[in-house]
Order: sequence, then structure tokens, then C-alpha cells
Amino acid sequence: MPPGERGAVDSDRRPGSGRATLPLRGAWRRLGRLPHARAKGSGPLAGVERWLFAPGDPRRLAAARIGLCGLLAARLASGPYPELATQPPALFRPISFLRLLDRMPSPEVVAALQALALGAAVLACVGLLTRVTLPVAWLAALPLVAMTSSLGKVVHNDVLLLLCLVPLLPSRAGAAWSLDARQRPPARPGTAFGWPVRTAMVVAAGAYFFSGLGKLLHAGPAWVLSDNVRWVLYASSDTQPDPNPFALFVADRPVLAHLVAAATLAVELGFPLVLWRPRLAWLFVPAALAMHAGIGLAMRLDYSVMAATVLVVLVDWPALLDRFHPPGQGEVPGPVPVEERR
Amino acid sequence: MKPSPSPRAGDQAPRWARWFVGAYLAVFVVCGVFGFEAWPLTGWRLFADARQARQPGFQAVTVDADGRETPIPFRDLPAGFRGDVQVLKGFADLPTARQAAVCQAWAQEVRARGGEVAEIRIYATVTDVSERVGDRAAPPTRARRFTCRPRTADAAG
Repeated sequence: MPPGERGAVDSDRRPGSGRATLPLRGAWRRLGRLPHARAKGSGPLAGVERWLFAPGDPRRLAAARIGLCGLLAARLASGPYPELATQPPALFRPISFLRLLDRMPSPEVVAALQALALGAAVLACVGLLTRVTLPVAWLAALPLVAMTSSLGKVVHNDVLLLLCLVPLLPSRAGAAWSLDARQRPPARPGTAFGWPVRTAMVVAAGAYFFSGLGKLLHAGPAWVLSDNVRWVLYASSDTQPDPNPFALFVADRPVLAHLVAAATLAVELGFPLVLWRPRLAWLFVPAALAMHAGIGLAMRLDYSVMAATVLVVLVDWPALLDRFHPPGQGEVPGPVPVEERR
Repeated sequence: MKPSPSPRAGDQAPRWARWFVGAYLAVFVVCGVFGFEAWPLTGWRLFADARQARQPGFQAVTVDADGRETPIPFRDLPAGFRGDVQVLKGFADLPTARQAAVCQAWAQEVRARGGEVAEIRIYATVTDVSERVGDRAAPPTRARRFTCRPRTADAAG
């Protein structure tokens, strides 16, 4: 696809090899249970696999690394971890591996983890020793973020960031736009740079889809058709120090509340369409950002990190950069090969 | 410098990458579909239940020597105290010693801020958010469930 025809999202979709196979496919084929056509790579699963493992632009992976590590660093620098470390043990409601403890980690341990995680996240962001600093940042941040979810409720705001970083951990995320890359020849597009970003995109889209699916499974159509959103907004406003004008504006208007509920469900369930039609990101990403902004205004719930994660992962930043600053612009003109002068 | 768009011939993702991505997305999808919580993997239950107008809840108040009740200002307490909704919801299921420890922790923090705490009362509340008085819900109906005194907690029936 010529660069001029690229969208600003996922411009690196290119056909991959038809020989690509998922790990379990070989086992199924050996058992003779997978249709021949699928084994050849013509089924929907093979299409998904070709998309996931198609070559990618190292700059797109670099943009994801810089954005996600920057977010992680900002979160680690401003998080309430030292305050949580002083929580009385009786109030500790641990989640996941923190159940191994009978109270929050001590202030000393938290300070050490925070310094390590923050330092490593900053280094990973600028791309210094990325293969080491990125996993160290993620591992050291994990118990700190778990602390924020050990008050009895999962804090989803940070979870998406952590989950989108997972595919970057073993990847060559420092191959471009990094201090590491200054010592090496420029990286060319390849399969090593495609799957980490696309896996993160699937996770980001899946987060919204499963949020919507959860609403359908637990509440059904009543989530939209009943006065559910009105009662949620009234209850939220009532627990805030002052009545919330945004929450009350929607809650006082039943038709508007139904529309908000329907739009929320449509955005969440429709979000994976951005993987199929990247240009739809122009619709769904702003819609998700608006949804988080609305929740922030009306309910004073902070989903800023989740929103920023979606922005980092689903926008094709290199393509956007190329659109506003075409390659070669501002560079000193060099000799032009004879073939290009014709 | 913009890299060349053409990938190298025979460039294939390594087997470990395929296994890694396959396994990761598989557990991500299983948690999402079935609502499993295996943090940081999660079932993404965000406002998943349809709320009713009548909403049950709890309220914790401190009582001074004169019998005056003051709601515990959880929003103004340190971050470690802000799981009050979940703690109160599960309070009845806690062992008596843990209930007393929870009350003790709350009392200590309120006293540290100059509050007087002779006892702590926990009420079960039902708020009908559809009944509005101005911009607020009408006061909830309350039933006292627990009274905590220093290092004790007893059901008040």
C-alpha cells in the first residue's frame, strides 16, 4: 500500500506467509482432526494468525514501548503505594499473589520496589538496555499495582496497562527510537516487530469487548432498557461531597440515560472491529476516550491510564508522524540514484 | 530515517513467539469470557450488574461520649482506608477478632484527626435513589447491625 493511502492506524498490515501456524494447529493436524483447507492456512483462524504474525514497523513497536513505559513511570511516580504500605493489617484484602502476605508490604520494601520499578521504566522508555529494563520495570511494578487492588476491588485502570505491556516484555522493543538503537544499523520492518503491537491491540480491544459482554451476561438487555444508568449516576452523585451536575443532568433525563447506556454497550461490544477495519479506530478510540471522560466527570472515577493505554496502543503513531512530517523532509538532500531521477 | 517497508524474505515469527502469544491470548480470552479473576488477568466486570432504585449498603459512624453520631469520613482518610465499601460488605463474615481490629483501626485514625470515638456503629442501609430531595436521595432507612467498642465487636441484632 502506498504511504499516502495509509490510515493513521495500523498501517503496517501486510499479508504474511500462508505457512504460518498456531502452536496447537500442528497437534490437531497430526491427530487428523483439522480440515485440510485450514491446515493450509485458509480458515478464519489462519487469517487471524497471519494478521498477528505479519511483519511490522519497528517504529510502531518503539512508540508502544515509549508510550506504555512512560505511562507506567508516571503511574509509579504518583501512585499511593507509600500510603498503602502503612495500612492497618485488619483492612488488608489481598488479591492474587499478595494473598501470600498477611498485610501490605512494608514501607521499606515498597520504597525499594518503587525506586527500582520507576528507574527501570524510565530507562525502558528511553530505550536503554531495553531487553532487561522493560521486564524489570514490569515485574517490580506488579506488586505495587496489586497493592492498589488489595482494598477489596480490582482497579481496572492500571490492569490494561500491565496487560498491554506483557507482549512487549520478550520483544525487540528497543530496536528503534531508543538509546540502544543508536549503536546499531536501523532496524527494518519484520515479523519481530508486528506481533507484540498486534497482541497488545487485541488485549486493548478485548478489554472493552469483555466489559460489554459482562454486562450482557450479568444484566442482559436490562442494562440498557431499565433505569440502571440513572440509578448508577444518582447513587454516584449522592456519595460525592457535592451533588454532581453532570451525573444529575443525565440521570434526570430517562431518554438520555438510555441513549448513554446503549452507546456504552455499542462502543464496548463493537470495539474489536478496529482490529478488522483499522480506520474504525478513528470512531472507536475517540468514543472510548469520551466514555472515560464522561465517567470521570459524572462519577469521579479515574480511568485515565486505561484511556491513555488505548491511545498509545491503537493509534499508529509512526504513520501519523509520516503524515505530518513526511520522511526526508528537513534532511540535507543527498545524491539521488539514477533510477529515481527518471 | 524511515525503514524500508519490505520485509526480509523468509522472515517468520519464531516458534516461541507463537506459543507465547497463543498462550497469553488464550488465558486472556478465557478470563474475559468466564469472568475469572486471576489478577492481573481479569474478568472485566465493570458495572456489569443492572442497578435497582432501592440500593442496599452500609454506613459506619463514630459515636462520642454524648452519643452524637458522625459518619466516618473515609474519603478524607489515607488510601489504605478507602476500601470501606468492601470491608463493610464483608464485615458480618469476619471473625470477631478481625471485626474488632477493623473498628480499632478506624477509631485510631479518626482519633488521630482529633475526633472523639466512644464506639463505632455499623448500620445496614437501604437507599431509594429514585426518591429525590433536591439534588440528593431521601435519607436511607437504617438498621443497626454492629456496635464496636475498644477491642470488642458484638452483634446488636
